[in-house]
Amino acid sequence: MLCSSKNPAARRYMWRFSVSMLLYIVFLVLAVLVFVHYRPTGPLAWLLAMLPALAIIGQIAAFGLYLAEEKDELQVAMGVKSLLWGIGGTLAVTVTWGFLENFVHLRHMDLMWVYPIFCMFSGLAFGLVQLRYR
Amino acid sequence: MKNRLRVLRAERDWSQADLAERLEVSRQSVNAIETGKFDPSLPLAFKLARLFETAIEEIFTDGE
Repeated sequence: MLCSSKNPAARRYMWRFSVSMLLYIVFLVLAVLVFVHYRPTGPLAWLLAMLPALAIIGQIAAFGLYLAEEKDELQVAMGVKSLLWGIGGTLAVTVTWGFLENFVHLRHMDLMWVYPIFCMFSGLAFGLVQLRYR
Repeated sequence: MKNRLRVLRAERDWSQADLAERLEVSRQSVNAIETGKFDPSLPLAFKLARLFETAIEEIFTDGE
């Protein structure tokens, strides 16, 4: 279990996830403040815009490291299943939305929502997988 | 895949948590293997066999 304090891989994951989440909040606030007050351009604007995404990439990498370091194969299998459901759910929603956007002019969905949708499906799947192997 | 883990564990008076500790896995894993919901990898099956001092096929059967 990810929250188990006895599991070193899970502890490291929680630590890495927390750090990247904190960085995400800091980077997002920083980017919003700088863009609102100073309207940067050029490479600085690109860098600032990418900072929150880098923190999210850190979260993805943290889970990848967890799967590589976890010694309990059931936990790895549950993590991989959750990821697959997350990916499948995200693809299903985004591709459907994309076609609806093109054909019936549904409101445009910002790509920024892809990761939260993925987290929602993965989290839901993780809960269901936990129930399955309870 | 069927298995005799519950019997082997009971013979030694081990709880699922005891076995999990010896295998260095979670109790949830032991329970999932014992109830046939999860098939262990070959290395874990060998570890179980060594722990119970028996052959893998004495613990697991294909259920046919």
